[in-house]
Amino acid sequence: MSTPAPNHPPVNRRQFFRDGARLAAMTGLGAFLGVAATRSRASQNTVWQIDPSKCVYCGQCATACVLKPSAVKCVQSYEICGYCDLCTGYFVPQPNSLDTGAENQVCPTAAIERKFIEDPYFEYNIDENRCIGCAKCVEGCTRFGNGSFYLQVRHDRCLNCNECSIARVCAGDAFHRVPASEPYVIKTTAHE
Amino acid sequence: MKPHRRRAGFSRRDFLRAGGAVLAGAAVTRTGQAADSRKPNPWAYDVSGFEKTDPKLVRYRELRRFKSPHRDARRLALGPDGRVWIAAGNYVCAIDPAGNSVAEIAFAVPARCVAVANDGAVIVGLRDHLEVFDAQGKRQAAWDSPGKRTWFSGLAATETAVFAADSGSRAVLHYDRSGKLVGRIGEKNKDRDIPGFVLPSPYLDVVLHPDGLLRVNNAGRHQVQAFTVSGDLEASWGKPTMAIDGFCGCCNPVALAVLPDGRCVTCEKGLPRVKVYSLHGDFDCVVAGVESFSENAQTSKGDQAGDGVKASLDAAADAKGHIYVLDTVTSEVRVMAPKATA
Repeated sequence: MSTPAPNHPPVNRRQFFRDGARLAAMTGLGAFLGVAATRSRASQNTVWQIDPSKCVYCGQCATACVLKPSAVKCVQSYEICGYCDLCTGYFVPQPNSLDTGAENQVCPTAAIERKFIEDPYFEYNIDENRCIGCAKCVEGCTRFGNGSFYLQVRHDRCLNCNECSIARVCAGDAFHRVPASEPYVIKTTAHE
Repeated sequence: MKPHRRRAGFSRRDFLRAGGAVLAGAAVTRTGQAADSRKPNPWAYDVSGFEKTDPKLVRYRELRRFKSPHRDARRLALGPDGRVWIAAGNYVCAIDPAGNSVAEIAFAVPARCVAVANDGAVIVGLRDHLEVFDAQGKRQAAWDSPGKRTWFSGLAATETAVFAADSGSRAVLHYDRSGKLVGRIGEKNKDRDIPGFVLPSPYLDVVLHPDGLLRVNNAGRHQVQAFTVSGDLEASWGKPTMAIDGFCGCCNPVALAVLPDGRCVTCEKGLPRVKVYSLHGDFDCVVAGVESFSENAQTSKGDQAGDGVKASLDAAADAKGHIYVLDTVTSEVRVMAPKATA
């Protein structure tokens, strides 16, 4: 005994258009949600960072950050550093003597440590807990030396605000978003 | 009577009023941001007091200036025929006294320094080796690289010898004209009482002095040192200071030249200035102060596009006592003459 074929009512033109419109609407909604989700993920996967080649040492990093002290810190590229006795990133322009006296230091918070290596070389290290990101040392080092001091947003401190308050006022337009997987700009070359 | 139907939407006047308010708000916000970015920097590294030169100390005036045919000029040299040779970018080019480009040699890599011997031979320093050309720019020889760390940054040449300042190995290499390495000058040697070169950046330079000695800049020690061609250190002079009579910053002078009467011309970076010192190292006068190199100074400060680290000067002197100053930021050569004879 054979099973009778199901009795499907015929689809009229109105139904066809209604179903087509529903399908198109659902597809569009799906695409929209997909794009929105991707974009949201993309913005979560980027962080703020400073391009050292654009930094003009304007001092805004120290004052404009919502954090006090700022999430921007000076970092040292040991590969570039000249280990100078007379370090213009460490000493004021005309120091009384080349020693660690507070009056001789360019850093307003004494955040740079000067350590003797061998005559006439000295190593300079940044104490990030003291650094306020003012870039005074960066200007001294870059103007006269190799530019081994430079500013970076430290991501163990930065809140990664949607609209960075330093980026809004940065005089060199040096703030930009970088992939969170490569959150730092590592300076390795002073002279090509 | 039919009641007057009131419109639910904005009238044109309301729309313009609201739009104006929004635009005014945006303008105020932007002005505030701009004002923030123009605030004086309380942490500026202030050397403005050293950027002004006492006019009484400036005893040279500019005769003329001309542009290098290529950008990224690094060093210059004067030939016996009065031509100016400039190492700029991947080229070395010759400029005649009228300022016309008359010869050009192209390289695959940047040319870092150049010297011209009295017989017209042109020696070019690339980063790791030297090449020799005749006066027409025809390649005669390419010498082997002396080592992996080599970074040639200055040259001097005679009819029998070439002295190559190698910033990478912190020595002046003494070659004969066939390319054979004869000796190494200036390396740290306690037995010979030579302290060694301190070079935070690759600006070692060497010039031949009429007294038969070499003059070499020991930038990290803020000194000019005199060596015999056999490598004995005969004299040193210079002191670190931002003041006009010394050498500023961490590492200066960056280039040297010698006048016919034996006085030494020094070039500095950071505070771009060119000065003259006596035979014994006493400050004599200023050729051109910071005011003369405003673009170079702005680049050093970071106020202008460009890499401040590469902003420097070079100089060469001719038999008349004119000083040719090369600004590496503008790639311009200025010809300076003593004021009395200009």
